Amino acid sequence: MQLSLNWLKDFVDIPKKITPEKLGLLLTTHTVEVESIMKQADKYKNVVVGKILKVEKHPNADRLQIATVDIGEKEKRQIVCGAPNIAPRQFVPVALPGANLPNGTEIKEAEVRGVKSEGMLCAPDELGLGVDHSGILILEGKPKLGKPLADYLVLNDVIFEVDNKSITHRPDLWSHYGMAREIAVFLNHKLKEYKPDPKILESTGAVKLEAKVENSDLCPRYMAVALENIKIEKSPKWIEDRLIAAGLRPINNIVDVTNYVMLESGQPLHAFDMARIYAGKNADLGRLRIIVRTAKKGQTIETLDGRERELNENMLLIANEEKPLAVAGVMGGASSEINEETKAVVLESANFNFISVRKTARELDLRTDSSVRFEKALDPNNCETALLRAVELIKKLCPEAKVASNLVDEKSFKLNQGPIVLDLKWLGKRLGEKIETRKVIKILSSLGFGVEKGEHELRVTVPTWRATRDISIPEDLVEEVARIYGFDNLRPSMPRVEIGAPIENEEKILERKVKNILVGAPALTEVYNYSFVSEEQIKKMGFDADNYVRLSNPIASNQNLLRQNLATNLINNIRANQARFDSVGIFEIGSVFSPLSGDVNKDAVKREMLPYQEKHLGVTLGGDSDLELFGRLKGVLEYLFSFLKLDLEYKELEIKPVWADTEICAGLVSGGKRIGAIAKLDFQLGKKLGLKKEVLLAEMSFKDLFALVSAGVAGVYTPLEKYPIASRDLAFVINAKIWYSDIKKEIENFSPIIKKVELFDVYQGEKLGKDKKSLAFHVMYQTDRTLTAAEVDEIQNGLIKNLEEKFEAKIRDF
Amino acid sequence: MEEKLRQLKDKALRELERVSDLNSFRDLEIKYLGRKGELAEILKSIPSLNGEEKKIFGALGNEIKNELAKKFEEKRIFFGGKRERGFIDITLPGEKIEGGHLHPITLVQNDLENIFTSMGFMILDGPELESDYYNFEALNIPPYHPARDMQDTFYIARTDADGTGVSDLVLRTHTSPVQIRAMQKYGAPFRGVVPGRVFRSENIDASHEHTFYQMEGLMVDKDISIDNLIFTLKQLLNGIFKRAVDTRIRPGYFPFVEPGIELDIKCALCGGAGCPACKHSGWLELLPAGMVHPNVLRAGGIDPDIYSGFAFGLGLTRLAMMKYGIEDIRLFNGGDLRFLKQF
Repeated sequence: MQLSLNWLKDFVDIPKKITPEKLGLLLTTHTVEVESIMKQADKYKNVVVGKILKVEKHPNADRLQIATVDIGEKEKRQIVCGAPNIAPRQFVPVALPGANLPNGTEIKEAEVRGVKSEGMLCAPDELGLGVDHSGILILEGKPKLGKPLADYLVLNDVIFEVDNKSITHRPDLWSHYGMAREIAVFLNHKLKEYKPDPKILESTGAVKLEAKVENSDLCPRYMAVALENIKIEKSPKWIEDRLIAAGLRPINNIVDVTNYVMLESGQPLHAFDMARIYAGKNADLGRLRIIVRTAKKGQTIETLDGRERELNENMLLIANEEKPLAVAGVMGGASSEINEETKAVVLESANFNFISVRKTARELDLRTDSSVRFEKALDPNNCETALLRAVELIKKLCPEAKVASNLVDEKSFKLNQGPIVLDLKWLGKRLGEKIETRKVIKILSSLGFGVEKGEHELRVTVPTWRATRDISIPEDLVEEVARIYGFDNLRPSMPRVEIGAPIENEEKILERKVKNILVGAPALTEVYNYSFVSEEQIKKMGFDADNYVRLSNPIASNQNLLRQNLATNLINNIRANQARFDSVGIFEIGSVFSPLSGDVNKDAVKREMLPYQEKHLGVTLGGDSDLELFGRLKGVLEYLFSFLKLDLEYKELEIKPVWADTEICAGLVSGGKRIGAIAKLDFQLGKKLGLKKEVLLAEMSFKDLFALVSAGVAGVYTPLEKYPIASRDLAFVINAKIWYSDIKKEIENFSPIIKKVELFDVYQGEKLGKDKKSLAFHVMYQTDRTLTAAEVDEIQNGLIKNLEEKFEAKIRDF
Repeated sequence: MEEKLRQLKDKALRELERVSDLNSFRDLEIKYLGRKGELAEILKSIPSLNGEEKKIFGALGNEIKNELAKKFEEKRIFFGGKRERGFIDITLPGEKIEGGHLHPITLVQNDLENIFTSMGFMILDGPELESDYYNFEALNIPPYHPARDMQDTFYIARTDADGTGVSDLVLRTHTSPVQIRAMQKYGAPFRGVVPGRVFRSENIDASHEHTFYQMEGLMVDKDISIDNLIFTLKQLLNGIFKRAVDTRIRPGYFPFVEPGIELDIKCALCGGAGCPACKHSGWLELLPAGMVHPNVLRAGGIDPDIYSGFAFGLGLTRLAMMKYGIEDIRLFNGGDLRFLKQF
């Protein structure tokens, strides 16, 4: 919202020493955030009023003239000018060197065709006062020479831009009067009264005005009055200036008055063209009936912005017996719009339910200056002040205007003004220090609260303009006291509490540990991807988009589903970086979502569950050789798992990920539990997704990983062996399709004396035959005495025989 | 020939093994490897061999010569001799060992977690896909409350019927729902922070993101005051910036606190004079905070007549941008390795 300093000054004296900057800071630290301060005068810096004394022809240019101008200095100025309309004795705007005109022209002292020019005479467009460039702006009257142009134009206002978020809870602050009240409080000045005389409504007319409020919950107060002998014209400059300063466009005197009063009082008003809201034969009877009711489903109205709007039965309307006239609190209808022919108006000043207006504005996607105010819950008492003020202004603008009807005032409201009991000791505890009671009373009463002092407490009555929603509990009063006292004037103090070590969040600790491990030796880079995935990509990858949690209002069509795995976006990371990096190694820990019911409660009562969501760990490598990447990625995982003191095995998957290569794909098993998978992205699919690299992905449930780590007996030390280890190498050729993991297990389980089995060579090649591979192991034998060579040989021979029988293994000689 | 060479090698190595001082080492070196030594003697006859033999024995001779030279060199150094390998450029770089990179938000988050843990706060987590109840209602933001405009919310579509309706689920717009969950789980007194990802339905550009990171703080105990809140926030700033920073505190409106405040810090770029980074105000909004609203305490199952508390929010993304001078917010979720590998 924009505030005009001049307007504020109507209601509170602001001393000279309070500069606009200072006032902005005071508003920010006590009331609302001022986002910017704009001085209109800055637009016309170094532009002054001058009088042309003499006009001569330029010696070197036919179309130029030389003006001698008096700007109230001792020396007269000589200015070269190209405009045809200048003549002696005219008053004109003179831009002096240093001026920076609104149209962007910078004025410097210059020589124009050999003649010195000490400034420039300005045309309206150069001053941002319209589009006219036909001649210099000739100023009316006999202004003082040298007077700043801004003063002459009475453009001396300062505009404060207030952050609307910071007044969401303050219906009273959507107005100049409300802001002036705050300023009066922190400047400790008197606030002027804002109470037009009710006598202004004394009627001489014959119009019988009636209002029927069908739903008083949605319309707690409806006031209206008719005015006749109206002449529609442009508003006087002082009204237009203020509207412009506040950011509104002047339209005509009647509409401008309704806007003016809204900006001044905070109460939105609406003016109907009276001739156009009569229903049928009532026009002849001088009887005007307004009905405040909800719309019928499917009913339409053309609003002032020229758009046809479809209504529903929750929307409140202002109607006559035949048709809707306005969407209550949101926007008027085009059919009763004020136009040049309007001779009489009905002025409405009503109060509408904040929820209803908000819902309607949202459903119609139509937020107006009016709806924005109503949805803050306005004070119904303000309707009257605003209506009187509007009539007062209309009469001022149209001296012929007369009140043509009775005053309609249908009301049914009750505000909770308290009193709130404010325990002074409690106030001190909440603040953390004692503020003198005298000061507390002063702050509250200057804000308009009624204060009655008891022995240990204050009984505080809430003013109507704060009683709609804003202030209802003692905590609200703590804020009033603290902000006016000044938060920066409080004395910070350390909380006095019992100390204790915090309960550690082991899962968070593991998360940090895993990240640190992966950026260590594996040298991976951590990425954060969006929680969204594209439906198109999901489909390409073979997933069923219907199984995804879907946003109802996505920002972009390619970000409309919630990710169910990290892989989808990690693949895109490879694509985004493949042109610049030969190989890429990245990981992410993040949440994934599924529509199935999860294990986190949705609310405190119902015990329904939120959709399933859990953290995953995803690791992705991109490069040129799939087998190398496969080995490398397994290495990364084994490194991580060994750090976490967990085992890791690869098992063939019964159901493979739809996007995975059929060969390079395995389940990750630890502690006997499957916690994820490792796979190569199918090459053809990768090509379709724009990949030029081979991509290997591993993804697992971080929750499961945490469960394994928590259950583990990590860190238990193994005593050093007392007896020597006998190590023998064993190499054999087997069918390539026999899993290494099965062989390894067989060897490990063959004898309790075999303590450790380590693979050290794998060979697959023509020499062995197509379907064969060779595996070579170090086998370590050890027990609680020194083994003889013969004993080891005997076990090894048995082992070899066993492998021959079970796997048709053929022992190789070294 | 081969036999002769191998015997010579074995003999030479055996004798070398037994050498016990530099003098006898030198004698041995001359004996075997000298210009007129035993090896030279044998190799002399190689040129006169025929083609194939010359090739085989030439290679073998060379191999043995090199091997012996190496062994003798080792021994010479053992007795205090100097290595002969030319000038060593000590300024050459070392072996390249690649390291990985944590995300800048992770780095900032870790720092903050350390500060809070040291102040006795728990670190908590909560669901990113939240219910309307926890994200709004329990935080004193009932349906159609104007404050909902302040939060451009991503709503989840209904899964039933045609899927066009809006469900009562949202992507959390702040980490504040975890305030309620934490109070319900741990009761009072309580001290905790919640780092995490939050969402606003906003179009993205260099300074706007729909996905960013916050850290929520909550402290509930007996007689917690505004003075306590301000003290704690200032401690926190000392921890973050490791220097004194100028602050200003002004009222701020958030429905889940009462009173609500905003703590601004003086813009470090312009020193308070006003610049584009601080929107010419000289100040940067950093810490929205306030005293927990009694309705929020109640929703958390805590009696506001016995306990009071404060809450605050920290923009992790904002802090990371300030700390590293990052101007484009999109870089955080963009996955560009040129960016991520700088941290």
